[in-house]
Amino acid sequence: MDECQSAIPTVDGDLHVVAAAHHIVKALGTTKNLSDDLRKILIDLDAHLSTMTSNIDSKGGKGFFGVEEQLKQVERKIMIWESEQMMIWDSGPKDTSDYLEAVDEVQTLIDGLRSLSVYENQKRKELLRRASSLLQMAMSRLEDELIHMLAKHRQQFEPKYMSCLSTRWNVVYNESFDSLENEPAKETSSRNCTSNESSEYIVDLVPAHVIPDIKSIAKVMFASDYGQEFCEAFIGERKEALEQYFAVLKMGKLSIGDVLQMEWTSLSNEMNKWTRSMKIMFRVYLASEKRLCDLILGEFGSFNSFCFVEISKATLLCLLNFGEAVAMGPHQPEKLLRLLDMYETLSDIVLDIDALFSDEAGSFVRTEFHGLLERLAGSVKESFNIFRVSVSSNKSVYPFPGGGVHPLSKYVMNYIRMFPEYCNTLNLLLEDRHSDAANLVTELQCGRNASLSTSCPMACHLRSITSSLESNLHKKSKLYKDEALQHIFLMNNIHYMVQKVKDSELRHFFGDEWMRKHNAKFQQHEMNYERSTWSSVISLLKDDNPGSSSLSKSTFKERCKAFGIAFEEVYKTQTSWCIPDPQLREDLQISTSLKVVHAYRTFLGRNPAHVDEKCVKHTVEDVEKSLLDLFEGSPRSLRNSPRRVKP
Amino acid sequence: MNANEYQGSFLGRISIRRNQVVVMDAIHEQELEDIELFQKHVSDRFSELSSPSDDDAVLSISWLCKLLDVFLCCEAEFEAILLMDRDPYQLSKPPFDRLIPELLDRAVKALDICNAVTNGVESVRHCQKLAEIAISALDQKPIGDGEVKRAKRALSTLMAAINLDDKDGTNAKSTERSWSFGRRSGNKDRVAGQFRSLSWQVAKNWSAAKQIQSTIYNLVAPRGAEASGLPSPIYTMNVIMIFVMWALVAAIPCQERTGLPTHFPVPKQLNWAHSLIGLQEKIADEWKKKEKKGMAGLLDEMQRMEKSAQSLIDFTDSFQFPGDAEKLQEAAGHVAELTEICRIMEQGLTPLQMHIREVFHRIVRSRTEFLDVLEKASLPVI
Repeated sequence: MDECQSAIPTVDGDLHVVAAAHHIVKALGTTKNLSDDLRKILIDLDAHLSTMTSNIDSKGGKGFFGVEEQLKQVERKIMIWESEQMMIWDSGPKDTSDYLEAVDEVQTLIDGLRSLSVYENQKRKELLRRASSLLQMAMSRLEDELIHMLAKHRQQFEPKYMSCLSTRWNVVYNESFDSLENEPAKETSSRNCTSNESSEYIVDLVPAHVIPDIKSIAKVMFASDYGQEFCEAFIGERKEALEQYFAVLKMGKLSIGDVLQMEWTSLSNEMNKWTRSMKIMFRVYLASEKRLCDLILGEFGSFNSFCFVEISKATLLCLLNFGEAVAMGPHQPEKLLRLLDMYETLSDIVLDIDALFSDEAGSFVRTEFHGLLERLAGSVKESFNIFRVSVSSNKSVYPFPGGGVHPLSKYVMNYIRMFPEYCNTLNLLLEDRHSDAANLVTELQCGRNASLSTSCPMACHLRSITSSLESNLHKKSKLYKDEALQHIFLMNNIHYMVQKVKDSELRHFFGDEWMRKHNAKFQQHEMNYERSTWSSVISLLKDDNPGSSSLSKSTFKERCKAFGIAFEEVYKTQTSWCIPDPQLREDLQISTSLKVVHAYRTFLGRNPAHVDEKCVKHTVEDVEKSLLDLFEGSPRSLRNSPRRVKP
Repeated sequence: MNANEYQGSFLGRISIRRNQVVVMDAIHEQELEDIELFQKHVSDRFSELSSPSDDDAVLSISWLCKLLDVFLCCEAEFEAILLMDRDPYQLSKPPFDRLIPELLDRAVKALDICNAVTNGVESVRHCQKLAEIAISALDQKPIGDGEVKRAKRALSTLMAAINLDDKDGTNAKSTERSWSFGRRSGNKDRVAGQFRSLSWQVAKNWSAAKQIQSTIYNLVAPRGAEASGLPSPIYTMNVIMIFVMWALVAAIPCQERTGLPTHFPVPKQLNWAHSLIGLQEKIADEWKKKEKKGMAGLLDEMQRMEKSAQSLIDFTDSFQFPGDAEKLQEAAGHVAELTEICRIMEQGLTPLQMHIREVFHRIVRSRTEFLDVLEKASLPVI
């Protein structure tokens, strides 16, 4: 390189001076109103300078000799690789640096030759042409080397690499509102991984030791004004790599039509994948890609952000459009949790998006994702509303057999148990509807003597949902003809609600007052049941003439018989009824037992003379034992049962 | 007339009834007027589109932007006619219980087309970048072998991108690329490294042509009594939507356009449709001519780019230093043309993409509004 710098200036000075003078003379000669004398002088001068020029030209020919020699040398260095199958960067650092040096040399030669453009010289032109051609060859080679290098060093990542980022819910709550059946799968949450430190996840998409090589190519290509070629090659290669990473995430490429027609379980899966892919895409891949672009192109102006946007755009459109398709889909209550996941993920990432696509080139990406966030928020609100409406409008035609816990109660309570996980988000999104909800449910009394968690918007909404559930259950209870069973049904279901609230995070949002009230409610139904089933039965055993000590034999017999029939009737019906909660069942059996057995024992005790096996079909012990068969959900009959009193 | 004067009397009651009928008739008349006005606007807008100035030839970037604007205007007007002060129950009754779901179904299909086309604009942009490389090489004075080779490399890639079969953008490339893994072929004419495939947004078997076909399927102009009522603007809107999507697919590179329909039946006697039918025929003719050739699409700028690029490739093929003065001048002309096209693309592609996105969001919003109305109609009367 030094050679070249010394070769050119020897002729440089002369050439410039003579050429400049010649130009001036020529220019003056074209002036119209010159005196004849002056014109003659100029013509002489022109002729003189012309001879000088031709002198220098021959001398200059020799002057360019050094340049030509140098060019020949560099040509050899560059041409040798043209017939070589091996890639330069694969053959070692010596070859690499030699090649880069040669390219530098060509560039310097070209710069030198160009600076002499004032002077028209065939030799210079020819050399410049050769040098430019050589440079083009080298640039084209470097482009190939770049692509080869990027392809060869494309890092592969297993999705499990990002396991922490990806698993918020290990099990999916896939149940739809229409399939109100089994208890939903328990969801295991691991939310403690949602760290905002995005830098933690930046990986080397290209091994660190390759970066200087790529940079060196970038440097010489940009220096030779081949920056555009570098960028196009770089974008093409990295775009493909990103698409490969995206493919690993297994997000299906779906059309909007596909998403809208998708059946819920598959859609739920896709929604999960999206949530996971978004995090990995932005926190890991795009953050790393951005760093790669900055590392390699940071010093060449705005090319880094231009390339970054070009690389990521297609993949982002995929993620974006899935989000749009979900947001425009029908708002079904079962979508709520998945939508909340999507919303939370995006609102978490939206700051990263702003940072990654901070400049003009990325404004499209920023605007679109902010728009999507808004639309997802709308979908969450809408789905929440529809959930509430579905809870109150769920209709039954037939009474639920046995009076046990209705699937709707199970569905609703298990579903809302997930909500506290999303407390902050729900509070944010439900806030503006807060007052509506409070109006809907007058019993709510939000805020009064309540701690913050029981008065937050979500808490109010939760209680409004359970109160919709309660009124729906009341409606459903009316389907039973038997008043006692109505009470058993309501007792079971309200007890279930209370239990679910007590055993979960929900208790913080429902508060003590709600608990007290609802405990009282199901106890009230318990009492109502006892009254409507047993008060008529017990009244048979009552002493309606407290003065006399005992009943007449016939009256006693009659009463006994009536009691027996009534008891058998109750036994027959109520063994088929159901109290699923063992504790609740036992409590009710005990309290029933206390009343009935006590009354029966007193009745028999007051008439000891009449007690014989013929009259008294059921002993006190039998009655006590039989009561334990009630509410087991399997119909029995005392008449044919083995518990019949033996003769 | 003061209805109170007659209150209580039999005559009065009749009169009130008659007033109501008059009101109903007035509403109906207003509606017919609105429909007529809507169709007049459609007619005006499309006749403007079919007589473009020099600056925006049919299917040029700026023309497409205008077309999308027309869509947005027509859509807004249509929505107002159908939904403003509308009794939801009316739209849930025949024939609307069929017409509106069909319209919404087409809308969803249009959304996928918008996405495919948004993606296609990216490949146009890629072509622009390649053309810019060729320009910067050939803008040098004097042009030498190096510049010519540089330009040729970029132009060959450009032509390959233009002629890329949009059925399998990836296959063509992977074979081109295989050399880069360790083995460098001696083929001097190989396509340059910046060659980029179109990465499709949707499933491999998704086809823009089929999507358009399915939007045309069972599109029938309203007949008889329906022809004068609300079904008629619904039909008009369907036709506009299909036309706009079809024109976009014809113009911009798009996933799988083989078999793109060149005709969809619109009765010629419909006044509002004259210009639209004219445009449709014009574009269809162009499409038939080009279909067998490259698949860059009918975008005016792309076609001009293709022509200039081909001329410049011919120039580079025959170039021998120092080059024939006449040919050099001709080449300079093509470079100037290419420069102009790139300038238009640089200015126009982003706005075009924004327009497409705006149409996308508008269709989503409008669909939601229709669904809301239908939902209201399906709720029991309280």
